[in-house]
Amino acid sequence: MIAAPAMPVAAAQLVNIGYALVGALMLLIAMAIAAVPLRRRAEAFIASTGLLVFIALLSLYLLGSGANLTVLSVFHLYAFSEFFVALFCVGLVLVNTLSYRYYSNYTGFLLFFAFAVVGMLIVPMANSLVTVLLGLELMAIPTSFMIVMGGKGHIEAAVKLFVLSAIAVGAFAFAIALMLPYEPGLGLYALTSSSGIGGNYLVLLAIILLIGAMGFEVAAFPFNLWIPDVYEGAPGSVTALLAGINKKVAFVALMEVLFIVFANYATQFALMLAFIAILTMFYGNLLAMVQTNVKRLFAYSSISQAGYILIGMAAATQLGIEASLFQITAHVFMIIGAFAIVLWLETQNIKSLDDYGSLASRNGFAAAALTILMLSMAGIPPLLGFFGKFLLFSSAVFGNLVYLAVIGIINSFISIYYYAKVIDRMYRGGKQKSALRIDSFTMAVVLVALIVVIVLGLYPQLLMSAASAASGALLSV
Amino acid sequence: MVFPIIGLSLLVSLVSALLIIVLNVRFSRLIAVAGSAAILAMLLALLAVDLPTGTLAVAESYPFVTAFNIGLDLNLNAITFTLSLMATIVALAAALAGNPEKAREKAANMLIMFFEFAALGIFASANFFIFFIFWDIGVVVLFFMINSLGSANRRYASMKFIIYEIFASSMLLLGIILIYFYTPVNSFNIQYIQAHAASIPLGTQEIIFVVMFIAFAVNMPLFPLHFWLPDAHTEASTQGSMLLSGVLTKFGAYGLLLLFTTLPIAGKFAIPVAILAGFSAVYAALVTMLQHDIKRVIAYTTIVDMGIILVAIAALNPFGEYGAVYGMLAHGITIALMFLVVGCMHHIFGERDMRIVKGVVAKATSTAYSFLLGTFGITGVPLTAGFIADVLIFIGAMQAFGVYGALPLIGLLIIGAFLYFVINKSFMLTNESSESIEYLGVSHKVGYALLLFFMFLFGILPSLLLGLVKL
Repeated sequence: MIAAPAMPVAAAQLVNIGYALVGALMLLIAMAIAAVPLRRRAEAFIASTGLLVFIALLSLYLLGSGANLTVLSVFHLYAFSEFFVALFCVGLVLVNTLSYRYYSNYTGFLLFFAFAVVGMLIVPMANSLVTVLLGLELMAIPTSFMIVMGGKGHIEAAVKLFVLSAIAVGAFAFAIALMLPYEPGLGLYALTSSSGIGGNYLVLLAIILLIGAMGFEVAAFPFNLWIPDVYEGAPGSVTALLAGINKKVAFVALMEVLFIVFANYATQFALMLAFIAILTMFYGNLLAMVQTNVKRLFAYSSISQAGYILIGMAAATQLGIEASLFQITAHVFMIIGAFAIVLWLETQNIKSLDDYGSLASRNGFAAAALTILMLSMAGIPPLLGFFGKFLLFSSAVFGNLVYLAVIGIINSFISIYYYAKVIDRMYRGGKQKSALRIDSFTMAVVLVALIVVIVLGLYPQLLMSAASAASGALLSV
Repeated sequence: MVFPIIGLSLLVSLVSALLIIVLNVRFSRLIAVAGSAAILAMLLALLAVDLPTGTLAVAESYPFVTAFNIGLDLNLNAITFTLSLMATIVALAAALAGNPEKAREKAANMLIMFFEFAALGIFASANFFIFFIFWDIGVVVLFFMINSLGSANRRYASMKFIIYEIFASSMLLLGIILIYFYTPVNSFNIQYIQAHAASIPLGTQEIIFVVMFIAFAVNMPLFPLHFWLPDAHTEASTQGSMLLSGVLTKFGAYGLLLLFTTLPIAGKFAIPVAILAGFSAVYAALVTMLQHDIKRVIAYTTIVDMGIILVAIAALNPFGEYGAVYGMLAHGITIALMFLVVGCMHHIFGERDMRIVKGVVAKATSTAYSFLLGTFGITGVPLTAGFIADVLIFIGAMQAFGVYGALPLIGLLIIGAFLYFVINKSFMLTNESSESIEYLGVSHKVGYALLLFFMFLFGILPSLLLGLVKL
């Protein structure tokens, strides 16, 4: 236990806080179920937001006090899981705020949302492979339903997501089955060296299946062909959820399994990840350059961001994981903020790059906010995205993967083209059109994202030390 | 010195920029002028205090990212002080003169103050990490300056600008990460790296040198990487061109100065770099002669002057080093004046093609004479700062390269001749004269006066700054 040795009372309190955290999750589901027949939108929204904030605060407190405890013998609360529970909860609050605006049947949405939330939060807290699998499944299926709730036009996207999630979860399950002879307990701990490192093709096959399975979810090449279609086809806030949270949950699952269970196979999987990272970055960035629909452009941009995040994991050092965590955090806020604006504009029937022309004169705030978020995605200092990329490229250099850093920097350079293209469109003058009024929910989400991107960009120390603690905890499990 | 002069200057510029955003457009110019004047006053006070002692060294440090041992480390020495002073003078002149195009004044003043923040930061930064951060802030600010304030073809020019510049900053980031990785105790601190760069393996030093050289050469700009400059300078608003040519190109030159004084391997590259720089100067001078747009002429002379400055940097001796710095000071002030003059001329006559504009002196006397005096500055006529700079530069270059060091003078001669030709054709001949469509505001004349004052001040009293160094 990492907690200060002189305070056993405090340690006992920490366990109670862990119970409170899990209890709040249960309460969230109960509340969502109760809200459906009661049909009280506003109350359900406030209650769910409150619970998510509560969970975030609890996990931040646990993170601050360095807690390392097991709750109900299935949830492992240590710095890594606390970091992600807090991050996901904040991101989910933002998505929840957007959803409240987009879904007329908000209580129905909330039911699926609550189940998905539980699945998302279970994944980082899991202490066995089965729990990870369960969490992933619990996340995927309600998400498909959320898409369907958008109406008839969205069924195709929902089916695509459903089928692909099913394949991913199936491959994950098969990977677990292959490991079974070497890991009877299915717990999240390192495979013992007796399982024959290097020569054991079954384990290598399991790693490949696992990376493939999670590759679907994290949008890594070549498993990411579905991403633009589903992002474009998903209704309102679900796009933000998919890009902002679902993808990151899959990253968490990938990290947990690779760096804990397959810790002894780091050289093998690092090479695979480096390879995938290179292809993913180029795929996302090059295709983003030719997009004319802004939502698809951001879909491809988020693919390339997944590539950057994989750089840190390919470095397979503590610095690398820290960098990945940093960039994941940055991307959660950047992409949710950006999609909040894109989705709001979509309801105003502004979709293509040409429609974005003269946005600055129609709504200066939205244009400025989108500009800052995109500059952050492109890695322009002093914004949050820059520090993520800086850490990632440094970790690649420190992990003796200079080529990966060079390719990452080249990609970062390519990406400025399409971000600058959007910025250029937005600040283009031309025919004066009517002003657009941004609604307060979107405004609030964008403001939070902006504040995080700017403040943590100017003062990255806080996030860096949290990410450092989390990555250290992951490696020392 | 306990007075936190650098931190305060940065704060003043940042706060002014934020105030301009928040407050009404009426106050924007006032705040920009007051902010940059306050910074200039602080810098001049520092000079007045330190000049008698003959040394200027201020160091400040504020915590930033403790995990990577990165502080907001700022220092001023004779070199960086000179450059900061130049940047502040140019920013003050730009804010004071105002925008001849009279468009989007609030945005223009905000961007000027943000750029002043970036420029002060980059010249004062004592570690490569914040150097990079300020670099990118400066680039992005000027992207918006071109993109939203420039003239008709500004979209194309700004995209070209940002693509070249982000390529440069990507290379710079790579170089910085490599330096950080290969120094014995991983550090971004420039002084520490200068002291310990010899322990970096030679092959790696070469890679770092080439990568960072490309980055700075794009910004500077140097011959095969200069294609963004004519468009960007021509399409930017007058204030944008002043900052772009006056200050932004000095980022690259200052970076090269740092690079040459940091890596021991630089000596090996000195002669190829000097040849490239000299060629770049002469080439740009020849291209200048093909231009008709006077703003484009001025833009190309920037490449000539920066090439000559790079020759001085590559000379790797004290005269070359300080000559380059003095050259940056002189060029920054003079070229800002030239762009202001050309911008005002465009405003007065609605045209800036030298084949069409005639007899400027008849309708806009101060503009025509300012152009003449600015040409004196660029060509290094005695009593202007450009003269002192050229003397130092060519002493340094000839110490290092012998007679060949004087060859870049060809470029200077060509643009000198061509500029006098332009003056003759468009400014001073009064037998036919274009119709003026606007009058020149007082503020523009004040801008001319400020820049001319400093141009002659540093030309007549070079000891003001040279007193701080031992040549």
